[in-house]
Amino acid sequence: MRSIRSGVSRYTLGLPLLLFAVLAFAVPAFLAPQNLANISGQITALLIVTLGQLVVALVAGIDLSVGSVVSIASCLVATQSDPVWGITLALALGLVVGLVNGAGVALAGIHPLIMTLASMTFLQGFAFLILPIPGGQIPPALGQLANGTLWGLPLPLLWCAVCAAVVALLLHRTRLGLHIFAVGANAHSAQLNGVRSVAVVMTAYVVCSLLAVVAGIYLASRVASGDPTMGASFGLESVTAVALGGVQLTGGVGSILGVVTGALSLGLITNGINLFGVSPFLRGAITGGLLLAAVCVQRRRTVGL
Amino acid sequence: MTAAPQSLGDGAATSAASATPARWRRAARWLLALPPAYAATALLLLLAAVLRPQLLSAFLLPLIARQAAPLGLAVIGQSLVMRARSIDLSSGGVIVGVSYILTSGFFPVSDAVAMMMCVGLGLAVGVINGILIVKARASSMIVTLAVAMILLGIVIALSQFRAPGDAPEFLRELARLRVLGIPVPVLVWLAVLVPVALLLRSTVFGRYLDAVGANPQAAALSGIPHLRVIFVGHVASALISVLCGFILVGFVGKGSVTLGQDLALNSLAAAILGGVNFGNGKGGMLGPAVAAFMLTFLFNFLTSLGLGEPGRLMLQGAIIAAAALAYSLNKK
Repeated sequence: MRSIRSGVSRYTLGLPLLLFAVLAFAVPAFLAPQNLANISGQITALLIVTLGQLVVALVAGIDLSVGSVVSIASCLVATQSDPVWGITLALALGLVVGLVNGAGVALAGIHPLIMTLASMTFLQGFAFLILPIPGGQIPPALGQLANGTLWGLPLPLLWCAVCAAVVALLLHRTRLGLHIFAVGANAHSAQLNGVRSVAVVMTAYVVCSLLAVVAGIYLASRVASGDPTMGASFGLESVTAVALGGVQLTGGVGSILGVVTGALSLGLITNGINLFGVSPFLRGAITGGLLLAAVCVQRRRTVGL
Repeated sequence: MTAAPQSLGDGAATSAASATPARWRRAARWLLALPPAYAATALLLLLAAVLRPQLLSAFLLPLIARQAAPLGLAVIGQSLVMRARSIDLSSGGVIVGVSYILTSGFFPVSDAVAMMMCVGLGLAVGVINGILIVKARASSMIVTLAVAMILLGIVIALSQFRAPGDAPEFLRELARLRVLGIPVPVLVWLAVLVPVALLLRSTVFGRYLDAVGANPQAAALSGIPHLRVIFVGHVASALISVLCGFILVGFVGKGSVTLGQDLALNSLAAAILGGVNFGNGKGGMLGPAVAAFMLTFLFNFLTSLGLGEPGRLMLQGAIIAAAALAYSLNKK
């Protein structure tokens, strides 16, 4: 039962292992400690966003607005003189975005793709309003949190571990987690069994937006500035990572392990493109190709959206 | 006993009094059922007449209509697939591909052959979209977004090594030309719009499309080739994107990798504003066309009021959300 619900198969586990082996053989520089630290730093933001996308995907939703939320969070943190205030503002904004997305989907019945496409566009404009060009200031303490090491381990790993642990607890140790799986598997029968599906769906979108805010704060700290287009690629990349990780976009099937392998695969591909000296612009094309492959192997009954 | 005539009298009195409100209510319901684009266009033209009357001049209005032509064409394709409960967000990728083929000089062929190659590209994209959506049953949103990403990535990577070249003279001339005072791009728009509208209104394909949109399962069970209907919609939509690409390249006169990138989202907004939604073609073909003009006019109006890129994006998002909200509340 557990394995069916997790969606993890030998392909989802095999892809990152295969990529790792190929890169380790073909490029000697790949296994250098500096490069491995680089990869963990690059993957962290994507993994955090993807964890949020997982929660939304489990209730049969999709959130394309995460990219804009990442950008806005980085702009807010970089433009406020007091980092605590900046982070508070960013989290509050994430809460509002999640509530609006969730209300649009669960209460008004708007298709999640349309709803989050609309909020993605709106928030992108808002990000340009806050910070028209990349810049701003990040306090060194925050930068230390994103770039430093603890007992010899790079701190980004800690960010990943904390976020993954929180989402794992939420999904597997709380009533809400059980309800999320129930609503995603069959919203109607969950409703008949007394699950308040509107509240569950709205919470899922809030969790997703808040995690995107955390990723934005991390990225801003890492590069020590804000950027209104910083997260633009995260919307589709997180969907790709989720799909590669065996999560069913129709809801109810998915796991943290799958998401980690999905994000890791994408991160390794990006790193491989850098190491092989391929044009970085082809990364989008390769992500798109992988996304196509991943969604084509997922069997669905409906045709169209 | 005395109560009955009393209440009857009351009823007669209220019905007599409510005859006019009932008519009003019916009129209001009829107005509310119209695509939101009609009321919005009327309001917008009124606002422009007060605040920026020069936008309504005989000189600027045809220019705005000319500018609206690519969006008007794109929304035709978009509403074809949306009526069959699908979506096409690949137009940006197709247009960038068209721009590259026509302007880069990567293919040393004549303009006519290059344009044929563009049509071939559109056909290939449409067929790939269609097969993945119909055969592999992948989500059309993700398929078309991914295809757009692939095309854009390849074109940007290729064009790193080349300066963008000039568009074919023929297309630049066509974009400038007017026939009887009407710009040629607007004529192209009408030349696609009218046949498609007639096709949907009076052919079996139009009925199939409505049936598939209303209930795909029922359509399939009734022996309607519902997969083929969706497939044809996607091929048509991709071919229309090629046409948009021709017009846009003619407008700009040079190759560009940012050409038509907002067309996918705007055509979605225009379709919803025009009364077309997933599985629903209430607005016909006129509603989306009016919405395409309205959005283009709106962006010009806002630019004349000094609204920049941030405000434009925020407004675009708000419009999509508001139109989707209005539709889903209306349906309830």
